Amino acid sequence: MSITFKLNQQTVEVAESNKDMPLLWYIRENEGLKGTKFGCGIGQCGACTVHMNDQAVRSCSITVSQASGTNITTIEGLATSEEQLHPVQEAWMQVDVPQCGYCQAGQIMAASAMLKRIPKPTDEDIDNQMTNICRCGTYVRVRQAIKIAADKLATEVT
Amino acid sequence: MTNILIDRRQFLKSSALAGGMLLSINLPLIKLANANKKTASDWCIYVEIKPDNSIVIASPVMDMGQHMKTTGPMILADEMDLDWELIEFAEDCPTFLNKNEKGEIGYAFSDMGTGGSHAVRRNWDYMRNAGATARQMIIDEAAAIWKVSPALLNTRASFVINPLTQQKLSYGYLAKGAAVRQIEQSRVKLKQIDQYTIMGKDTKTIDLKQIVTGKPLYGIDADYPNVLQVVIHRAPAQGAKVKSYNKAAALAVSGVLDVVELQQQNDKIGPDIEKQIVSSGVAVISESLWSAMQGKQALRTQWLADKNHENQSSELQQQNFRKLVASDTQAKQRKNDGNIDQALVDAKYVADHTYETPLFAHACMEPFNCIADIREHDATVVVGHQFPHMVAEEVENLTGVDALSVEVINKRMGGGFGRRYERDFLREAITLSKQLKRPVKVTWTREDEVERDFFAPAYVMRVRAGLDENSNVSAWHHRQAQTRGGARDDCFPSQIVKNYRTEHFESSSKIPTGPWRGPSHLQWTFAVESMTDELAYEAKQDPLAFRLDMMQPHMAHEYAGWGAEVIDSGRMAKCYESAAKMAKWGRELPKGHGLGIAGHFTFGSYAAFVIEVSVSNKNQLVLHDAWGAIDCGFAINPNHIRNQMEGGFIDGLNAALFNKVVVEQGQVINNNFHTLRWMKMKEAPKNIQVDIIQNDYPPTGVGEPPTAPAAAALANAIFAASGQRIRQLPIADSISI
Repeated sequence: MSITFKLNQQTVEVAESNKDMPLLWYIRENEGLKGTKFGCGIGQCGACTVHMNDQAVRSCSITVSQASGTNITTIEGLATSEEQLHPVQEAWMQVDVPQCGYCQAGQIMAASAMLKRIPKPTDEDIDNQMTNICRCGTYVRVRQAIKIAADKLATEVT
Repeated sequence: MTNILIDRRQFLKSSALAGGMLLSINLPLIKLANANKKTASDWCIYVEIKPDNSIVIASPVMDMGQHMKTTGPMILADEMDLDWELIEFAEDCPTFLNKNEKGEIGYAFSDMGTGGSHAVRRNWDYMRNAGATARQMIIDEAAAIWKVSPALLNTRASFVINPLTQQKLSYGYLAKGAAVRQIEQSRVKLKQIDQYTIMGKDTKTIDLKQIVTGKPLYGIDADYPNVLQVVIHRAPAQGAKVKSYNKAAALAVSGVLDVVELQQQNDKIGPDIEKQIVSSGVAVISESLWSAMQGKQALRTQWLADKNHENQSSELQQQNFRKLVASDTQAKQRKNDGNIDQALVDAKYVADHTYETPLFAHACMEPFNCIADIREHDATVVVGHQFPHMVAEEVENLTGVDALSVEVINKRMGGGFGRRYERDFLREAITLSKQLKRPVKVTWTREDEVERDFFAPAYVMRVRAGLDENSNVSAWHHRQAQTRGGARDDCFPSQIVKNYRTEHFESSSKIPTGPWRGPSHLQWTFAVESMTDELAYEAKQDPLAFRLDMMQPHMAHEYAGWGAEVIDSGRMAKCYESAAKMAKWGRELPKGHGLGIAGHFTFGSYAAFVIEVSVSNKNQLVLHDAWGAIDCGFAINPNHIRNQMEGGFIDGLNAALFNKVVVEQGQVINNNFHTLRWMKMKEAPKNIQVDIIQNDYPPTGVGEPPTAPAAAALANAIFAASGQRIRQLPIADSISI
């Protein structure tokens, strides 16, 4: 019996023997998708954030078997294409958020999941929903980019 | 002297790419001793111009979040008069090394190291001259084709232009011919500031798109042919040795190939002080990282404590420091201007307060990792390190392979903060690759990273400061005890307070320490700018006006400390004024709100911040907005200066509020983010407005200067809001947030 789930819209099959493997390591090691980062391994920092059925989850703290039957999206699968980035990625580029950049994929995944649920987040929403650590302290720009992304998404819908 | 020819051998190599021009730029006055002939390292190749006029630039300084990978190419490209939009950027730059007459390893061309906010300072002249030289060679080629004097010609955006005829030739067309030209150094003309077309403008991070799309830029993402994955169970307590482990259990994990012990390795860092670089440990060698991690769990390693570290405790150390600074025990004198004893007797008022800072962790977001492939006569190391020459040096020291035969592939770093100056994560991988005769990749966990950190030293700083009858600061006596290192006592109030003495107690602490973002600057500023605030309130003066008075008369003083030649009270004053103006200093504030101000000079740059906080009647702290002004000389990239001001200040606020490592019996107790609290969005200021003071001083660094004022600005704001004076970090121990 193997475990199957969708990873960036492709069906993947994982051997039962790997069922306890954290999703993070499956994504990075077995699928070679390195955009999802290892930061703490205990679900605290959010560098490994991916979407599971459109919810932001910390892939270091989810096993492959827990991902069974779900849709997983990583930073590599967020955009429609290299030319057509996700509005959150575009906003990140517009504001030029990153410093070292290591946490930013996780921040973008957390922000894009939040904006699905809360299209017009208040500062308080952003404070409560965005719990990823940025060691370089780019929080001011992350907040700006989220607001720009919210506006972009609102325009897209209308 | 002006006729030194920049000849082809020193300067250019055109054969490597068909039809292209590879510029390797080496200033003729920089002496190249024993440039390595075996590798390409007598050429430093930064720029490649292709026939279609597209250009590839490799930044000699790698990025760790300080934005130098963008700044370096901006300097070069502007002097070359390139079209920034046509440039492609190489992911990394080969590390070109040489050895001097003493056999010491250094950089063959520009300085590729980053730390001490020096990368801009040390590369400013080099990169400008490099760009201007290349530009002149391309002009000469066009002049030869058009048969006109080179002096007639201009350049703009990767084209040479003849203003008389409006003829244009692209750099791509001219590059091949230009590559074999020789020019006299006297003809290399640097631009004036008003001629810059790239510098001085907001420019975005060159690998921004790769970052936001999750491309594998970092060492942790790097692959290598036939590499073995290694995870090491490191001794959790300093000095502890392996007692036992279950090798069979680890080998039983699918994918695990081998288990080997690593010996503790110490370096002598002083006559009587050894620094543990590599801890005793057990390395699990595996086909995959995940199986290596499982293998490590299966080892169930037991440890033998080291008696030398049994009583090592950060809390006991702090208590000891408190006793020392409070005592009459003679300390080691550092500076002694005027007559401090008399000045304290004569003072109308003397404040006597003690300020404390704990051990700070680095917590680089990317856990350390290093690929080492040590072969018989040469080697390759793939790693993100702040000083790539140290990587080659480490290989030579450990294996005997000549450093100039080491290929160092330096990767983008997920944070550095001084921690990626250390050698420990190199040494393990190099040692194991040599032993196993295979390429290895060693990857750390977060717990390893915190437990085996080289922390910012802890400080207890007692300051006695006096006011004279006119409420001027007439005496300043700073007496400190610290885990290791000195004090930034060349910074203010040195020279602006006439009677000034500093002293410190030597420490025999074995708690490992290392550079932490502007080493000692934040701690020094916490004491100085907190005490300055206390004196202002005592003198019943406005804290801003009091500081501005202290900066009078405005003048440049000689600076004997590291990283600058002068310290200018006028430039510092301007930063205070600008930050205060943005914050509307003096305005009426809501109840429970307060503004705090602090400023500091770090490695040539001046920064001041004002922060607004509120403290509720339930002692709940909220950080509101902040305003920061920086004078870093000519502003090469205002966008990234602002980004550093925002992030650097927030890092300082995190240090002030949360960053405290606790060591008991030589072991870190809070080894991951569940117990080592770190600032998140919720606690950070919502807005930080930045002013960059405009001037044309040579540019200085921006990575560290914004961090230093944060703790004092925050403590001063809390006092203004609540009347609570916090003299001990972390502030979250005294107030809820």
